Amino acid sequence: MARERWGSKLGIILAVAGSAVGLGNFLRFPAQAARNGGGAFMIPYFVALLLLGIPLMWIEWTIGRFGGGFGHSTAPGMFHTIWEKNKFIKYFGVIGIFGPIVIFIYYIYIESWLLGYSFFAIFGKYNACTTRETMSAFLQGYQGLVQNQYFSSITPAYLFFIVTFALNIIIIYFGISKGIERTCKWTLPVLFIFAIVLAVRVLTLGTPDPAKPENNIVNGLGYLWNPQWSELRNAKVWLAAAGQIFFTLSCGIGMILTYASYLTKQDDVALSGLTASAANEFAEVILGGSIVIPAAFVFFGATEIGKIAAAGTFDLGFVTMPLILQKMAFGNLLGFMWFMLLFIAGITSSISLALPALAFLEDEFNLSKKQASIVLAVTTFIMTQPAVFFLKNGVVDELDFWGGQLCIVVFATIEVILFAWVFGMDRAWTEMHVGSDITIPRIYRFIIKYITPAFLLIILGSWFKQEWVSFLLLRNVPRENIPYIIATRIMLLVFFATLAFFVWLVWKRRAGRIQQ
Amino acid sequence: MTLAGWIFMSVSWLAILGLFVFCLSRTLRSKDQNNGKPD
Repeated sequence: MARERWGSKLGIILAVAGSAVGLGNFLRFPAQAARNGGGAFMIPYFVALLLLGIPLMWIEWTIGRFGGGFGHSTAPGMFHTIWEKNKFIKYFGVIGIFGPIVIFIYYIYIESWLLGYSFFAIFGKYNACTTRETMSAFLQGYQGLVQNQYFSSITPAYLFFIVTFALNIIIIYFGISKGIERTCKWTLPVLFIFAIVLAVRVLTLGTPDPAKPENNIVNGLGYLWNPQWSELRNAKVWLAAAGQIFFTLSCGIGMILTYASYLTKQDDVALSGLTASAANEFAEVILGGSIVIPAAFVFFGATEIGKIAAAGTFDLGFVTMPLILQKMAFGNLLGFMWFMLLFIAGITSSISLALPALAFLEDEFNLSKKQASIVLAVTTFIMTQPAVFFLKNGVVDELDFWGGQLCIVVFATIEVILFAWVFGMDRAWTEMHVGSDITIPRIYRFIIKYITPAFLLIILGSWFKQEWVSFLLLRNVPRENIPYIIATRIMLLVFFATLAFFVWLVWKRRAGRIQQ
Repeated sequence: MTLAGWIFMSVSWLAILGLFVFCLSRTLRSKDQNNGKPD
């Protein structure tokens, strides 16, 4: 059967950019920057982009295209192709399927809230909520955490979840060119238009309350951008910047490997990887940095903004922003644009998360697209249920830790060492430039071989020591949530073991065929 | 906003916009196959 291909170069760039542009661009980045030194945060941020983000992007594009040439769309096959002598490396590649699915099973539920809130915004369902307390109550009611005057059950959230889940499966069922590429070509421009409209609206707010002249947009931008030099001496700020680059580019977890595997041998990866990174940075720094924090400063003032920035992503997106947008003219429309842009950012990311597992079933088990889609849909639907029904018991945080933090850093470290040291830098450099539209600066030979792996090992060690040990040992988990967390870990362990077994089975069959 | 804040914002925006415009223009005028060469 002929291998699927992207319809155009712009198509895959938009798909990768769509995968990278997610909720983090509009919610996580501004909060991180505001909390970690303002303008000074941009120094470690750009350092991490140049030494970590862009090299990882090029590495994943190159390994993906290389592996695709051997008929592999996922990390187990690609890693085995790079290091055939090592019997175990393919099992490390399992992380490249496992990690994206773990993120997918909670991300898709959060994504469905955005679809729900888009409808609530346009129909004015939360218009009666005019304080942070009432808007929080609305969100908690929707999430099924409490029963209140806004929601008596989780049914509306579950219906929006079903619709969102079905949309994701339908898009990936239609394949690379007719499903993912077409979706990204239509939705990404809409996302950028909505974000530009919202950013322009916020930047032209001026001083909405003449009684509080200090609450103006220039001071709002200042809150985000005024550098606090002392923060540069804080190692946590450098780690936060590196973490933000990691999460924002969606690299280091296997999705780009799969996307790039559908390129032909002569397709460019150097310029395409850089273009996708640049599009993501445009959405994050310029658009994301111009919406939430400046607007929150203008409407809530200098005393409240610190608490708002520290309150977390959900609070910024689902509580603060709807309150702010309600205070503007055409608030319902602006609210719809806000949630719809986040929904688009979400769905273009979630389809990329689901794809490696689908591609694995198709490539390695020779399942048809329909069969693979059914297996994927049934499996992930079942695995999503704990995130939906046990949200209050910390299941989503647990899934985020394994999929969104640990797997990403571990997988990226393996990937970069494999590429630079096993595949070999000379071969890697030549492979990166096959069909290339730009010449990568020579300094990146040194960066990819020494700096990026060292950077990753430092992050891995620091996070393990500072945060992961206490997380793994359940130190901060309330006693009543421990059974739910342990059950989640068992589910993940079983899932990982099943994937590893599948990999073992595939290679056993393949070895049997070769012997015959 | 302080002068340093304006400088940080302007330089960050210009750097990203510059990179974005450069990449996009090169992408739009590039052929499907090209002859970029390694150093």
